[in-house]
Amino acid sequence: MAGQLESLVDAARTGSGLGTVYRALDELVELYALEDAAVVVDVPGFGRQVLHAGRRPLHDDEHRWHAAEPGLYLQPPLEDPVLAGLMQALSALGFRYDATTSGRAGEPANP
Amino acid sequence: MNVDELELALRALRGVVAVGFTEADGIFIVELQAGDETYDELARDATVLAARHATGPVAVELVRWGDGEPPQRETRLRLVELTTDPAAGELTVRLARGDEEAVGRASTTGGLPAAVEATVYAVRAFLADLTYLPGWARTVETTPDRRFLVMASITDPIARTHLRGAAEGATPIEGAVRATLAALNRTISREL
Repeated sequence: MAGQLESLVDAARTGSGLGTVYRALDELVELYALEDAAVVVDVPGFGRQVLHAGRRPLHDDEHRWHAAEPGLYLQPPLEDPVLAGLMQALSALGFRYDATTSGRAGEPANP
Repeated sequence: MNVDELELALRALRGVVAVGFTEADGIFIVELQAGDETYDELARDATVLAARHATGPVAVELVRWGDGEPPQRETRLRLVELTTDPAAGELTVRLARGDEEAVGRASTTGGLPAAVEATVYAVRAFLADLTYLPGWARTVETTPDRRFLVMASITDPIARTHLRGAAEGATPIEGAVRATLAALNRTISREL
């Protein structure tokens, strides 16, 4: 557990915003032996975004996460409002950080 | 390649709600899920971005969702039965469109690609003008519970386009049939 947190904190210190979110999702999957996990977040300039653990494709999206409300979605479900809020906050910050560092901040979505 | 930069750029394209990555046989595969607010040239723009960031072969798969609903209203072919006859060295795929059924056969001597071949032949019974030809199929992952994730490819030699699909099956052959259907269904659903 301590090692996992250290690597997550390291990712936040030195890595990208999106990379840190994925690291957090992957560690949740490992920690709770989950089958799957995703976070859905609304981000200004990007709209609703789904981040799936492992950066894996959703394929046919059996859980219909593409249309889900913002939140943390775990399989099997695990109700933890604080964790869900933190993951959404981390995701929003991750997008904002990466958009800023890449020069995409405020850039309208294409086309 | 910086995956973070590519993902951020793809997510900035209008209508994109999810981006995923995988790799099979040296091909870097980018999957986009797009909502109803997207635009016609999304696949083109995504392919340009992916090719710009990738250092090797890259393929883009786009899943479009309209009005928050999956494109299930389009007709899709489904797998009814898959049989192999070792004595005859033949593989038979039975597909259905509603109540109609069609069969495709191929020699098992071709290995896993025979599943792609038989599936394409069965599809051709519904769509005689189908331009896609069987390509290849490969098992890309075997799960701990002995499910087989297979990737299949079909090719239109005139348009020089390739479609690829991935699916799971209880056997590699079933995975290959389902992967072929996954590759084709999105393209042919409007013509069925």
